[in-house]
Amino acid sequence: MNHLTLDVLVGLREPGTEPGQAAARQHLDSCTHCQAELERLHQRVARLKSLPTLRPARDRWPETRARFQAERRRRRTRLAGFTGLAAAASVAAFLAVGNVPRPVEMTGDQLSQVMERSQVLESALNEYNPEGRVIDGRTARIAGEIEDRIARLDRELEMTELLRQQATDQDLLKLWRERVGLLDALVDVHVTRASNAGL
Amino acid sequence: MTRTLLMDSSLLANAETVVSRARTGDTEALGELFRAFEVPVYNLARRICRTTEDAEDVLQETFFEVCRSINRYREEGSLWGWIRTIAASKALMRLRRNKYRDADELHDEVVGNRKEDTHLRMDLEAALERLSETSRAVVWLHDVEGYTHEEIANMMGKTPSFSKSQLSRAHARLRTWLGEEMIP
Ligand SMILES: [Zn+2]
Repeated sequence: MNHLTLDVLVGLREPGTEPGQAAARQHLDSCTHCQAELERLHQRVARLKSLPTLRPARDRWPETRARFQAERRRRRTRLAGFTGLAAAASVAAFLAVGNVPRPVEMTGDQLSQVMERSQVLESALNEYNPEGRVIDGRTARIAGEIEDRIARLDRELEMTELLRQQATDQDLLKLWRERVGLLDALVDVHVTRASNAGL
Repeated sequence: MTRTLLMDSSLLANAETVVSRARTGDTEALGELFRAFEVPVYNLARRICRTTEDAEDVLQETFFEVCRSINRYREEGSLWGWIRTIAASKALMRLRRNKYRDADELHDEVVGNRKEDTHLRMDLEAALERLSETSRAVVWLHDVEGYTHEEIANMMGKTPSFSKSQLSRAHARLRTWLGEEMIP
């Protein structure tokens, strides 16, 4: 009697029928040898499933978080560059039309200035590269919180940019000012910590 | 699917709230996701990869990806199912990158043939460790994690019949190395 090969037995565990499986099942029903072999297979799988759970020896979250935050900052710098240009273009468009009400132009100028300030701070932070430095837990927590608030603000800015028709430059100016405030705070956190630690 | 949904609630009771916070870029919430799933992710990675260093790197790469693309996670599926597929793909990518396979399979053949002559019985951990990278990945993903051959083939960039033959091959070797009786 030809017993079932391991190939066939392994395949028999799958739901559904492939060609030849009906005959294999028929053989299995009447063959204690093959039934025992299939049972061994089931037991092996059960043993695999009950192997102990392996745990990481060290905490990889701080590194993962720092990498994510660094990437988010780079993305933000690009966004700031892009929206900065977009804002400059919109101001230019206003000016080209000619009959620009003075307050709008003022806001446009202010907006460009705030965006520029934001970019200066971003570059300073990128240059400082906080992810590449060892920072204490408290600084990391405060910096992380500020990073999160900036990220939330950026989502709001993106939305406002998308709905530009409905949004006034005043709305944008308010958001960008808030952003500069947060970036200032972030620079402060890193610089203050560095000077306290005598770095 | 049901099993992975159960995993969600057992690993992270308030998954929905944490996910919606994580979507706003809240790193504390992302940290909670990491804490909830780091052990199963690491375990999967460690069972597939050769070294603890590789598994730790896969753990980091998986959660880096989770942080970046949590907005793409669709809630109709289970959170663990989503994270697990990222982890499995990263682990398989690592295998490909390390190009373990070719040298490894050769090693597997040599060691396999030699061991078959001896009466040494290995324990399951050692036998699993001794399988080729690919066979081990397939047996783990199929028999333990419950992926289908089609899903494994997709993740590996191979055909389902490749996955099937790797699985049979893994079982044939495990059976021998575990010293299970041969059937005439
Ligand atoms: Zn039989």
